[in-house]
Amino acid sequence: MSTPSNTDPVVLVRDVYKEFRKGETVIPVLAGMDLELLPGDYLAMMGPSGSGKSTLLNLIAGLDKPTSGSVIVCGQDLGKTSQSALAKWRSRHVGFIFQMYNLIPVLTAYENVELPLTLTPLSRKQRVEQVKTALEIVGLGDRMDHYPRQLSGGQEQRVSIARAIATDPTLIVADEPTGDLDAKSGNEILELMHRLNEEFHKTIIMVTHDPSAAARAKRTLTMADGRLVSDIQNSTATGTTA
Amino acid sequence: MKLLTYIWRNVRRNKLRSGLTMLSVAFSLALMTILYGYLAMQAYSQREATKHDRIVVLNKLGFAAPLPIAHIGKIEKLDGITCATPYSWFGGNYKGQRSPFAQFSVDPQKVFDVYSEFDIPDDQLAAFKKQRQGCVADKSLAEAMKWKIGDRIPLEGTIYQQDLDLKLVGTFEAPGNTGSLWFNWNYLDEELKNSGAGNSGNAGSVQAKCTSAKAVALMSDEIDAMFANSDYATRTRSEAAFQQLFASFLGDVQSYIRYISMAVVFALTLVSATAMAMSMRERITEIAVLKAIGFSKQRVLALVLGESTMIAILGGLVGIVMGLGGLHLLSSVPMAASLFPIPVIELAGSWLWGLVAVAAAIGLVSGITPAVLAAQQSVVDGLRQVV
Repeated sequence: MSTPSNTDPVVLVRDVYKEFRKGETVIPVLAGMDLELLPGDYLAMMGPSGSGKSTLLNLIAGLDKPTSGSVIVCGQDLGKTSQSALAKWRSRHVGFIFQMYNLIPVLTAYENVELPLTLTPLSRKQRVEQVKTALEIVGLGDRMDHYPRQLSGGQEQRVSIARAIATDPTLIVADEPTGDLDAKSGNEILELMHRLNEEFHKTIIMVTHDPSAAARAKRTLTMADGRLVSDIQNSTATGTTA
Repeated sequence: MKLLTYIWRNVRRNKLRSGLTMLSVAFSLALMTILYGYLAMQAYSQREATKHDRIVVLNKLGFAAPLPIAHIGKIEKLDGITCATPYSWFGGNYKGQRSPFAQFSVDPQKVFDVYSEFDIPDDQLAAFKKQRQGCVADKSLAEAMKWKIGDRIPLEGTIYQQDLDLKLVGTFEAPGNTGSLWFNWNYLDEELKNSGAGNSGNAGSVQAKCTSAKAVALMSDEIDAMFANSDYATRTRSEAAFQQLFASFLGDVQSYIRYISMAVVFALTLVSATAMAMSMRERITEIAVLKAIGFSKQRVLALVLGESTMIAILGGLVGIVMGLGGLHLLSSVPMAASLFPIPVIELAGSWLWGLVAVAAAIGLVSGITPAVLAAQQSVVDGLRQVV
């Protein structure tokens, strides 16, 4: 796993507006959002449903484009990038962790982790090494041949994390990564994410409704009605449950 | 892991649905294999027929009109003719079955010279030439009817008002299954004369062997010219042209087969497209995840089209094998042997690849709409439930 060496912002969101249209109706979701994340940041985004946090996450992950303003991630202005170029960019720079894990049910843990690597020019030998390393990091080196249905929820989410880090991305985006897990498994996942941030200096953005999960991040950003309400540095952020 | 592995796993994801889709393709391709197999057999027969320098002489008025046996002597005297035999369709019933196989009265002395590519043991041929009521049958027919040498084969006349009591004295092997039984023309003719049933002296048609391929066209013209002013004018064709004429009595089979095939392919494409659309609908989130982690539109297209094509090709291959099995069965059934005379092994050719291509095309076309929808699908909409 590589570590970033410069201090340029990984994420730079400037005066971003995002509107959705439903027939004649225009629904504003983000209204002049600004955000900056440095390499190694670990940001938790909180806020009620409809506050715009998922939309902001989509914009930063390159899944959607702003109505106005700029979203620059890893030096790439995502608003000005074509869809096909964005797909390629995502495969190199972003790792995704979903609430429902979203593993491919017909592929083994190994193959799920390998999937994003098939988009890279890596040799088969290099892919094998990276997949094994990723699965070892999440503690599932002995579950490589298991299909998702043969794994517990916590293990599925760990495979999902392995898939997210397999390509060694600069940024990891996680949406409610513990939302579907019991307390013990959730704690293990949060611990793993803390480790990714501390040990491997991954920049992480996590959407959560759980204040105790947010407290594990370095920063907590709270949103309401498409605007930033607060941006707090969590000085007591730790890898273990308080 | 390669994309093909992922496609294969997706094919096996819903085994029941994939299996049923494959079966629908398989049955349709089996039907097409039989239909196109019929065409291939006809084409093969016509190609083969050109190799043996034979001509077929009929009354100018057609099959049903008589051709005097005296014509044969005149035909045989021509320089370009090696030998000739009467070849008259008997069409009798056998053990209550209505004309279950082809029966022809022939000249035992000449018929195996005219059909020189047919094999018969010498002793059996000698018995056929010697025994008035003797008959020989295609080996495949004898096996299908479970006949042994020496068995009596009673035939009830339908076209001719004369029953025959034949004895199997030999079996012959032809390049294809002729499904035919040959008996002595003299036996039939004498019985007709004795019973006063009429129609005696009728050769039916004449099959003659020419000295060379070049002689085939020349003799055809010469024979027709020779009998042009007689009461029984002739129409002579090469054996290949005769087979073509015979096939044309079934109508424009080739067009029927094409129309039926097009209808089958169209219906099948809709069935496969429905199955693929259902499959993709269940995988909206999965497709969105793939696109989120970097799968391009082209790769998603390839994934879906690959899946639909793989299902169709696998079903198509099963269907082609089933169809070839069906052709094999048909070619061994005496009643169908004249329509399906060629062993399946002889049929391997480009038309089979054509059928595989049809199966692949069904898969591709049926996958286009679901594939395009999947490729165009918004990642955000697809992930809405999770991101």
